[in-house]
Amino acid sequence: MSAILDVSCLIKAYAGVHALDGVSFGVEAGSITGLIGPNGSGKSTAIDCISGFQKLDGGTVTLGGHDITGKPAHLIARAGLMRTFQTVRVYDRLSLRDNLAIAAQQFDAANWLDEFLRTRRYRDAVEESERRGKKLIELIGLQKYYEAEAGILSYGQKKLVALAAALMPHPKIVVLDEPVAGVNPSRIREIEAALQQLNQAGETFLIVEHNVEFITNLCHRVIVLEQGRKLTEGSAAEIHKDPRVLEAYLGMTPEMAEAEMRGAA
Amino acid sequence: MTRPLPLAILGALAFAALPLVTASNYLVGVGISALIFTVAAAALNLIYGFTGLLSFAQLGFWGIGGYAAALTVVTFGGSYWMGLVYAGLLSGAVALAIGYPILRTNRHAFVISTLTFALLVALIARDWVDLTRGPLGIPNLPSPEAFGITFDSTHKYYAIAWAFTVAMLAFLYALCSSRIGRTLVAIKQNEPLVRAQGISPMPYKLAAFAISAAITGAAGGVFTFYLRIIDTSFLDFYYMQTFLIIVIIGGAGSFWGVILSGVVLSALPEALRFSADFRMIIYGVILVAAMFIMPTGVAGWVRERRLTSMREQLR
Repeated sequence: MSAILDVSCLIKAYAGVHALDGVSFGVEAGSITGLIGPNGSGKSTAIDCISGFQKLDGGTVTLGGHDITGKPAHLIARAGLMRTFQTVRVYDRLSLRDNLAIAAQQFDAANWLDEFLRTRRYRDAVEESERRGKKLIELIGLQKYYEAEAGILSYGQKKLVALAAALMPHPKIVVLDEPVAGVNPSRIREIEAALQQLNQAGETFLIVEHNVEFITNLCHRVIVLEQGRKLTEGSAAEIHKDPRVLEAYLGMTPEMAEAEMRGAA
Repeated sequence: MTRPLPLAILGALAFAALPLVTASNYLVGVGISALIFTVAAAALNLIYGFTGLLSFAQLGFWGIGGYAAALTVVTFGGSYWMGLVYAGLLSGAVALAIGYPILRTNRHAFVISTLTFALLVALIARDWVDLTRGPLGIPNLPSPEAFGITFDSTHKYYAIAWAFTVAMLAFLYALCSSRIGRTLVAIKQNEPLVRAQGISPMPYKLAAFAISAAITGAAGGVFTFYLRIIDTSFLDFYYMQTFLIIVIIGGAGSFWGVILSGVVLSALPEALRFSADFRMIIYGVILVAAMFIMPTGVAGWVRERRLTSMREQLR
């Protein structure tokens, strides 16, 4: 297997503090890779930098062999990297149908002129997007809300919509920023099952998450960050046994980790 | 969004009949104002209601359009029709030029920049006396001609205003109900998400701003030839305030809500003429009451009702 996403030596500094201090890792095509670490370890910064939402101070990011380092977010998305956000983002005042359709519209061949003239290309694109949208809405089990505005959904349901939207344009990789944080435990099982099913169908995921059980159940490979550096990397079982990880993260409450951070700074 | 269309066609036909049922120049004049103000408000709705960018520059484009149309005819010897085209093109071009830098700022800075632009246009109209004739203005604008007809009465000019309004609203409707319109709404609601979905917001915002400006400019051109004079009072804040009230009462972001409110609010001050002394006070009370009862406008009020019933259905 080859790495679809390859990041090397990422460096990001805020006012002299290194949020990322030379982080390198790869995500294999067709895998689910977890990115974990205590609060402030640089996970969110890493995916913001990879997806173009923050400027990198150093390092390179390649997606499917193409250099996407420092490109604006919308071009990175067009290159095939779709992401979700820690605080869920959907279009509250648009229907789920529109929420999903917008996610795909930049990726079809139809432009505004095609739409104006209602060309074959436009009708095909709309039909294809509708088909994909219906398939994904069934996968996340929200069919009955398809025509409803996303604003009426619960937080957990919105996370599912965000996931479905990210999958709409058949991306090369989907980056999920805390997909189950703040989500009702019964729904976490559903999300887990959905991700597993999607992965079996060939989708590649990079998941940032605090929920260790969730990561352990899902991920083929786990990368552990601490204070902007890669602490270790391995299978979920290996990570579980690694004493450094236990010390840095698993055995420590967020309060303790934070106290440690303050001490270090 | 399917039901309003037949109603709108009926409404447009009813409006077309206005000069046939009344001989009063005054009433037909109110009709012209209602049509043109509704177009300008619908253009403001595109940039403010749909895209979420409150633009006071509309007043500037209204003035640029008015002066461009008048000067094309009076100073440069062109036809009325070319005047309208230049009014739209010039306003659109100016919008592209100022929009490119100011759309890079945040939403608040955008509002202030557009306000400054409107004030600047008013200053230029007053102080560039060689071109605009300053406060004296340009009186006696000639009547437009086409197909051997001279549109020299209010009744005849109404036909131009009506055709212009129908064309502009049809264009705006097609735009707002297209994928482009949907993308503008998405940009208003969640710009980072739009970017994460591969869409660059800037071209959309710039296009919405320029189209809104071009339509406002052309509307200014049509209105100035109805008044048959242009002077610095054409850039009075009264116009901006009228457009904005129509959009807010109708419900920013609702195409039909704003059209309906444009027609009603343009006619309302006239309908209240039975009480000459108190009519502006009554008008004010109605506006305040409307904002208390429907803080998100008529369309927002309807939407709340619909959402409530939908929630109950899904329970």
